[in-house]
Amino acid sequence: MTRGPIEVFLTGATGFLGHYLLAELLTHPHVRCRVLLRPPVSDSSVRLERLLADLGLNLSELIADGRVVPVEGVLPDSLKRSDVSGVDLVLHAAGNTTFHANGSNGLETTNIEGTRGLLSLAAEAKIRRFVFVSTAYVCGEQAGHLPESFFDRLPPVRNDYERSKWEAERLVRDWGERSGVATICRPSILFGDSRTGRASAMKGLYLVAKATEILARAMDDNRDTDRHEIALRILGCRDATCNVVPIDWAARQMTDIALNPATESSVHHVTNPDPPTHQEVKGWLEEYFDIAGGRFSDETWPLTDANHYEELFYALGNVCLDYFRNGLTFESRCAADLPPGRRLIDGASFARCMKYAQATNWCRTPLVEHDLPPQASRLDPAWYFESFLPEAVPCSVVAKVEALTAVVQYTITGPVGGSWVSRFDRGLLTETHAMPTALKPEFEYRLSYEDLVEVVSCRKPLQDVFFHGSAEMFGDVERALKMVPIIGEFLKEFPVAGGGDCAAGSRAGATC
Amino acid sequence: MLEGTLTYPAGHPCCSVLIAGPHPFLGGDMGNNVVSALSKALALRGAVTLRFNYGGVGASEGGPADWPKVMSKFWKDGTFDEEQDWVNDVGSALAGLRRWCDLSPVVLGYSFGCWTAVKNLRESNAKAIVLISPNPKQHEFEPLCQSQAPLLVIHSDNDFTCAAPEMMSWFESLREPKTRIQLSAGEHFFRGHELDVTATVLGFLQHHRLLGAEQHDNGH
Repeated sequence: MTRGPIEVFLTGATGFLGHYLLAELLTHPHVRCRVLLRPPVSDSSVRLERLLADLGLNLSELIADGRVVPVEGVLPDSLKRSDVSGVDLVLHAAGNTTFHANGSNGLETTNIEGTRGLLSLAAEAKIRRFVFVSTAYVCGEQAGHLPESFFDRLPPVRNDYERSKWEAERLVRDWGERSGVATICRPSILFGDSRTGRASAMKGLYLVAKATEILARAMDDNRDTDRHEIALRILGCRDATCNVVPIDWAARQMTDIALNPATESSVHHVTNPDPPTHQEVKGWLEEYFDIAGGRFSDETWPLTDANHYEELFYALGNVCLDYFRNGLTFESRCAADLPPGRRLIDGASFARCMKYAQATNWCRTPLVEHDLPPQASRLDPAWYFESFLPEAVPCSVVAKVEALTAVVQYTITGPVGGSWVSRFDRGLLTETHAMPTALKPEFEYRLSYEDLVEVVSCRKPLQDVFFHGSAEMFGDVERALKMVPIIGEFLKEFPVAGGGDCAAGSRAGATC
Repeated sequence: MLEGTLTYPAGHPCCSVLIAGPHPFLGGDMGNNVVSALSKALALRGAVTLRFNYGGVGASEGGPADWPKVMSKFWKDGTFDEEQDWVNDVGSALAGLRRWCDLSPVVLGYSFGCWTAVKNLRESNAKAIVLISPNPKQHEFEPLCQSQAPLLVIHSDNDFTCAAPEMMSWFESLREPKTRIQLSAGEHFFRGHELDVTATVLGFLQHHRLLGAEQHDNGH
């Protein structure tokens, strides 16, 4: 372990992994961190301050002590050489974790061009070490035991996210061959804190857990079916492993890797040496949510004869379907450092994470509803339509409006606006895409960004914005009107009071 | 208990007006642009007006017990089995209005409110009837024949709920005395054309000597 003073330039510090990395780096008294924060830095600092406070750290004090230096900027190209000059190592943890680009260039811009820009700056500033946070699943659909080495050719990737990470790894490797020592960390699926269950974002396995909760809630209202005999086909392999790692453990491993003086470029799998099987995870979920009956199946999605429970479950759970099947194991030098018989993730720690998830209403309550001060309230429409709605609608009363089948377009006018199209099928939000898309909307709501903020925060009813304000309805106006009270109920259930900054953080800063 | 807003003039009222608003399942409430514009304009001309929220809207009690199931049905066929509850709400609002003002009311409905208002005609002893954007394709207006009060129908030339020719044909079938005014803009919602609507209503009521000179409202 290096003992001299080390200056680290960290990106993605407000993300799920990033703030854990920062906290872990700061446990080393010889480390000073420059953290890249999106403008306006005052807003990003508020978010970082709150995230660090959850981990027992005081950002203001850390800044006053010179342990943390905020640097305002956005990748790929708003940084200056002086922002990184004198830095010993770059720890690049910022990334976009959306699986599918769907016409958006977010993955390209953040994951590929962002990395390219930072590498170029690091070369200019003659920084010796560059540590890049990738993903263990950059391997795509390969099976078997995967070595800790770079894939020279693009693996059979499942989605745009994996491809973007492979492209970025290639840039990092090339930089290592020309300019310094490149280290690639490949964490597997990140999960809540092993000690507290805490997580600041809920993706990956959390989506499957949330889908299970939706199923359990549906059974609460259903007296006709035994909640322990739900006819649910789980499209995956029961004995394959689900490589999840606790966020605190992963951050510690990556910090150790980053601070360990390296003389040559390398790849590290930050993966669980004793991961649970899908059958084990299923058991933990069933026990926690008090349901049962699911059975593993070799069939693939979409199921031509999906029953109501399967549609309910896969409306959210299908995001991760691609990861249920492969029987992968990873070569890894990371040690679990646990007493004999203990595992990184077991039934108890899993239940702790579920409890935290539910207590925070799946991460929404403290992060979105109450803690964000008004000055941090910058709603990101893309986040709202592409991330928030797909996660919230299945948990809402909308999902119970079984006849609701429609293709809806939302157009937000103004500089941060755009157009999105959602398909609702029997109450379930089955897909949302940024325009352009092949989906043909039946009707469109068009409103200003300011009205959107008023509406999603429940400060103004949608009908008021339409009847008195600048909003418009196009297409089948009667159906658009019919949907107004449904949207109104949803907004009452899931208000986003100044949730945009959180959203921007999770889009721009979350990793893996 | 229903939530409502009573708007009244500074001096003695010259008439009272009950305003029934659009469909609660289509975003209808007493804050609607047409409803609120009429309420204020009428009070400025000496009328007491009452607008209200149907049961389940705003602070009004009631509404469907099994909301998702009801919305499912409404989404499918546009009907609600307990629409009669909203008709009864108009009856309650009329009774409330009478407690504030003992003049026979003008009954005014907008959109879905045309139907709920007309369904209460028998008990209302209405002095005049105003229907704005009624939808005769969706609802029966048979009770109109039970009243001899002057009738005004206002509609736009591009209403998506009922095209102008159908509206004219339906209007032809109605009894006298009646007046039909077709506004050349505004679709069904009259956004930005509220003044055209209120001016038409004020002109009609003034013609029938139900309104006084313009004055300032005293508040809500």
